[in-house]
Amino acid sequence: MIKKADIVLFLVILITGLAVSVVSLGDSAEGDNVVVTVDNEVYGIYPLSEDRVIEVRQQGHTNNITIKDGVVSMTYSDCANQVCVNTRPIAKTNDSIVCLPNRVIVEITSDEGGEVDVITG
Amino acid sequence: MPSPKPKARTYALRTKRLALSAILAAMAMIFSYIEALIPLPVPIPGIKLGLANLVIVIAIYRLGFKYAFIINCVRILITGLLFTGLFGAIYSFAGGVLSIVVMYLLYRTGLFSMVGVSMAGGVFHNLGQLLVACLIMSNFKLMSYFAVLLFSGLISGILIGIVAAVLYDKLPHLNV
Ligand SMILES: [Zn+2]
Repeated sequence: MIKKADIVLFLVILITGLAVSVVSLGDSAEGDNVVVTVDNEVYGIYPLSEDRVIEVRQQGHTNNITIKDGVVSMTYSDCANQVCVNTRPIAKTNDSIVCLPNRVIVEITSDEGGEVDVITG
Repeated sequence: MPSPKPKARTYALRTKRLALSAILAAMAMIFSYIEALIPLPVPIPGIKLGLANLVIVIAIYRLGFKYAFIINCVRILITGLLFTGLFGAIYSFAGGVLSIVVMYLLYRTGLFSMVGVSMAGGVFHNLGQLLVACLIMSNFKLMSYFAVLLFSGLISGILIGIVAAVLYDKLPHLNV
């Protein structure tokens, strides 16, 4: 009833499937959204997949947040310590860049959280 | 041979074929209904064991691609209207079309047994639905469910293939 080709096909499907799964699980920590918070209030939420520069101006302070190729970095800040600008670019869920002097926090969140209720498309 | 005889035979054949198609379509719907009653613990709507695939496999072997395809479409349409709703029907359609095309191509090679054909059908049935889920939710991370769906598709496909092979031998070999 079972032929040799069946077994070959079984192995091919199994290996391909496992490879795809490993790849997709490997970057499952990739985030979806960039959440910018100023003074503990959400300033804006932007998709990580779209390149853009977000200029955050508040109380005389300016921070430029750049989203490019799925990576977020603080490209400009008028703060004194420049810790935020020197922070490594972020891309993974729950990563963050903090500018304490300007009270700006950039975080990456995920659409996933058990329920898939965020339909963006 | 006298001329009216082959014509009558053709009509008789066509009638048999239609009757068998109707029976298979009805069976497929019953299986779909049973599946709709038993939700699987997978957070994607429409992902099922693919019991209806049993019927489709037999239809491919017995009636060919055209009939099997129509039976499948009728099943999906009516099941969608009756039980699963439009959204479910979109998923079923993606899974159904992808799996039937793959199964037919494998069947045509002549290299695979019914179990192998059905196994591929089970996997591609789930894959098709998952692809639609990814598109609709614009969330390609759903692909991480792929492993679960792959195994469930493989296992259910193999089981269904074995049942289909046994049934196929048991079914009276009407000349259709
Ligand atoms: Zn700073």
